[in-house]
Amino acid sequence: MILRLAARSLIARALTVGMTVLAIALSVALFLGVEKVRSGAKTSFANTISGTDLIVGARSGSVQLLLYSVFRIGNATNNVTWESYLEFASLPQIDWIVPISLGDSHRQFRVMGTSTAFFEHYKYRQDRSLALEAGVVMDDLFDAVIGYDVAKTLNYSVGDPIVVAHGIASFREHDEQPFRVSGIIAKTGTPVDRTVIVSMEAIEAIHVDWRGGSKIPGQTTFIETIRQMDLTPSAVTAALVGVSSPLQTFAVQRAINEYPEEPLLAILPGVALQELWGIVGVAEKALLAVSVMVVVTAMIGMMATLFSSLNERRREMAILRAMGASPLTILGLLVLEAMLTAAAGAVLGLGLVYAGLFIAQPAIDGAYGLFLPIDPPALRELFVMLAVIAAGAIVSLIPALRAYRLSLADGMTVRT
Amino acid sequence: MKTCAPLLLAMLATPAISEGTRELGSHEHGVGELNIAVDGTTVAMELHAPGADIVGFEYEAETAEDHAEIDAAIATLSEPLTLFGLPAGAGCGVTEVSAELESEADHDDHEEHEKHNDHDHDDHDDHGDEHAHDDDEHHDEEVAANHTEFHAEYTLTCSEPGALSQITFAYFDVFENALELEVQVVTDAGAAAFEVERDAPTLDLSDIF
Repeated sequence: MILRLAARSLIARALTVGMTVLAIALSVALFLGVEKVRSGAKTSFANTISGTDLIVGARSGSVQLLLYSVFRIGNATNNVTWESYLEFASLPQIDWIVPISLGDSHRQFRVMGTSTAFFEHYKYRQDRSLALEAGVVMDDLFDAVIGYDVAKTLNYSVGDPIVVAHGIASFREHDEQPFRVSGIIAKTGTPVDRTVIVSMEAIEAIHVDWRGGSKIPGQTTFIETIRQMDLTPSAVTAALVGVSSPLQTFAVQRAINEYPEEPLLAILPGVALQELWGIVGVAEKALLAVSVMVVVTAMIGMMATLFSSLNERRREMAILRAMGASPLTILGLLVLEAMLTAAAGAVLGLGLVYAGLFIAQPAIDGAYGLFLPIDPPALRELFVMLAVIAAGAIVSLIPALRAYRLSLADGMTVRT
Repeated sequence: MKTCAPLLLAMLATPAISEGTRELGSHEHGVGELNIAVDGTTVAMELHAPGADIVGFEYEAETAEDHAEIDAAIATLSEPLTLFGLPAGAGCGVTEVSAELESEADHDDHEEHEKHNDHDHDDHDDHGDEHAHDDDEHHDEEVAANHTEFHAEYTLTCSEPGALSQITFAYFDVFENALELEVQVVTDAGAAAFEVERDAPTLDLSDIF
């Protein structure tokens, strides 16, 4: 009975109530959307590298090693000698090992030397492998495979020549040995998009005429001669390692960390990613706090509307009282109306989020590599909606109590 | 010149002696490490805990009491399921256990041995230096011997590894000096790290399994 009355009363004031519902819906949509993006970003981040059990590099910190080996941010403190690399590669517990050599650049993008096994073992987003959008994986010494963003920014296509620069921010270029784009990797949403990949041998080849960071004047080795040279690398920057069974992970990690010949560090990528997220995750919390504030604002807006409606509904209340409604019924009616408004807002907000997801999901994935899964509402979302309805009830209590007090004495004698 | 000679000799001798690398792992009282690896139905766990956490002292056991305490600790550490409570539904049974007390000094002893052998080939002239270095090593050893660690390794077989959703750490009740365990879990799906503290001695693994 009172529910029908509340619903009717809301419908009678459709316009103002509709505005309040819209405000709540938008705030709920924002909150849930931020939640979605937040968890999506976190998963995306955690999925930057998967399938790799250990990352090996010079002994520094786990976050630093992760930053330069996976995100190509910053530089290695030291290299890993090729001897150590070979020794680890021959360990029976190690299933596969992929070398990574960094230090050169092309325009604003880092160049990474690696083996073709990188394409086989580097996984992202759980178990997705790198796919080529065009061309093939490098098979010539001077072939380069470029990431999606590299191709897009510099407008490269398969077959274009590119010149690799020495160092990260330098004008000295390895211009005697130009590379050729052999393939372009499809968008991954990982740092691979911003990387130029060449073979380990190629990294050695472009440094043939270089000693101690500068070019030997007047010396140019012909490309044909270089091709016949022994281009075994002397060092790698880092290595990605897969172990044969998870049970071996810690043993191999300890063996590398306690390797007496060279101070090395082996990290679990998942753990290091978690550590890194702990650092950048502060922004995520700030975002959440802002969206909570928006919900609070919408609630206060509803309270304001309720207050202003009290005056114009004085007569209505008086009639209800005259019909035998107790002051408590009046209070209940107002709270119920507020809860219905909040519920409508919450449901509409959820609907908005899903509509937004359906429309924008592919675009966000393509542009930012941020994959937002469309799942049915989880317990967490339902909890948020319930919280909004409960907040609506609590917020409405203040104007409702006022109405309760007024209707005790007032209304029966309208003094206008 | 007279005063310089021994110094020079010492410097010359240094490379030969420091051939064995010197390293010391980090050691934080109150904080232990627990590594858990899961492959199929096999669960491997390894625990590293400072001696201070387990028995309350890290000096070399002297009295019979100390020895008894260490033996009791090793006996306790040999029963993983009483320290780390796994869900009954997982059906876990212990197949292999090893627990021991390891002191950093053990490593040094080894190195010292090697070094002594090296020195046997040296001339008598170096003798003075050797003494000086022996003193150094003794010093090192004393510092290192202050830190001991309990190592334990467990292999378990769980009939339903998917049910390993939670671990309750009775460990903190048994060892009163332990404050925190840094837990790393590795499965086929990847790795994750957790910190389990005395105040909240449970670990929720439902996201992993």
